[in-house]
Amino acid sequence: MRKLFIHSVLVLFILFLPEISIGGFFDDLIKPRPSKKQESPSTEKESANESPDLIQGLGEAFGIKKKKVDLFRKGLGVVEALQPIGEEEEITLGEAVAVEAFSRFGGEYSNEGWTRYINLVGNTIAEVSDRPTLDYHFAILNSPEQNAFAAPGGYIFITVGLLKTLNNEAELAGVLAHEIAHITKQHMLETIRRGSVLGSVSELTLTALKKNPEMFANVIDEMTEVLFTKGLDKDKEFEADVAGIEYAYRAGYHPKGLQDYLQTLANGEGQTQSKFFTTHPSTTLRISKIKTLISTYSDIQDLPFLTRRFQQYVKTS
Amino acid sequence: MKSSFLMTLFFSLTVLLGGLFCLSSPSWADTSFAKQDGVKITTKKSPRSKVLTTLQLGDAVTVLSVEGRMAKVKTSKGKTGWVFKFRLTPKKPAARGGSGLFGLKGRKKIAARESRAGGSIRGLKESTEQYAKDKHIKQEHRDAVDRMEALLIPSNELIEFKQAGHLGEFSGGVQ
Repeated sequence: MRKLFIHSVLVLFILFLPEISIGGFFDDLIKPRPSKKQESPSTEKESANESPDLIQGLGEAFGIKKKKVDLFRKGLGVVEALQPIGEEEEITLGEAVAVEAFSRFGGEYSNEGWTRYINLVGNTIAEVSDRPTLDYHFAILNSPEQNAFAAPGGYIFITVGLLKTLNNEAELAGVLAHEIAHITKQHMLETIRRGSVLGSVSELTLTALKKNPEMFANVIDEMTEVLFTKGLDKDKEFEADVAGIEYAYRAGYHPKGLQDYLQTLANGEGQTQSKFFTTHPSTTLRISKIKTLISTYSDIQDLPFLTRRFQQYVKTS
Repeated sequence: MKSSFLMTLFFSLTVLLGGLFCLSSPSWADTSFAKQDGVKITTKKSPRSKVLTTLQLGDAVTVLSVEGRMAKVKTSKGKTGWVFKFRLTPKKPAARGGSGLFGLKGRKKIAARESRAGGSIRGLKESTEQYAKDKHIKQEHRDAVDRMEALLIPSNELIEFKQAGHLGEFSGGVQ
């Protein structure tokens, strides 16, 4: 009965806490007090469990047996693991995925002017996105196939094959805004948190990633598999379309840019070779949904496509 | 036996309630915070109207009303004006590069590679270097990420870019 009660409390924690943010209090609860002595790595874990902390102190104050306190602590450990991954951690994971992106897609397309241009367009959108304080980085991959990716932490890629297919800056903005939306919505992180690598609660302590390069590599492997081969859930792609169009609109671009690019892509389907088709939902379905969405924007007729500027930057250089 | 159960109950509730007490509530009805630096508060509902004041990341305002994409707000200094809703968040934003649960953070400020011709002085994170090494990823691809991170657009260049394209704050109403 008592065990049942404790388990019920733990379940409540697990159910509710991922939905709400935690103001740092639990970090302090969970963290063991720093030991004054310099511990050797092999004894670190043991000493962390043994050192008294607030939970243990409370347990003692209430006369609760250590076993039960430990059970409670274990529950809090699960809660800790289910918290959103922090921004620095996200950037760390994203940086490794970025290295893979260059490695798998022909390396960097070396054109300083174009790279600067996509960074200008990307930053114009990023600063009106829902995560404006994150540092976003944009790069061109030297691959002829049409594709674009977003790695966690603000790393965004567009292939030179896609870039050359675009007709104006609004289309470029539409593509980049879609990728920015994947980052603001943390789609990749959400996917791996539900995936097999982080699926085991016992392995969910993210601290382990630092100490365990193999674990780190497994997470990156799973991310790259999703990003480059399997693709994200269709719902996440549609969500990125909706948010991306909103960002492009906020930035002052005509929000039809993404739709126009997808139409170009759809026209070439069958002739165009790209993993884009296997990692994204049906292009025609996306276009249909976007058309419906754009019809709800009433004041867009005068917004720019910036065709001439795009051609000055990309087509003529 | 019974008192032991009660103590367990009190202990559980103490930790639970203590935790809940410390949770930040996103539902504080009227208070919102600037999502970034340089959020402009204008005198009228039109974003083209005179700028009353500018908020920095985390500055609190009281939301008085919402009309379409704009919110009427009162600043902590008592000034009342208009701001785009998307510039605000009901949850106080964390400081940049907020704390995380594990410490994979930190760049090698002056990497050994800094002396390499054409290389950057930033260096990737140790975890990335280790990963790339283990996976036999070529140095050129690591350098590409390094350059990607090093490319920073100065704010005046971005402003000129937006102004030339009638984008962002120069878009004439949308933003």
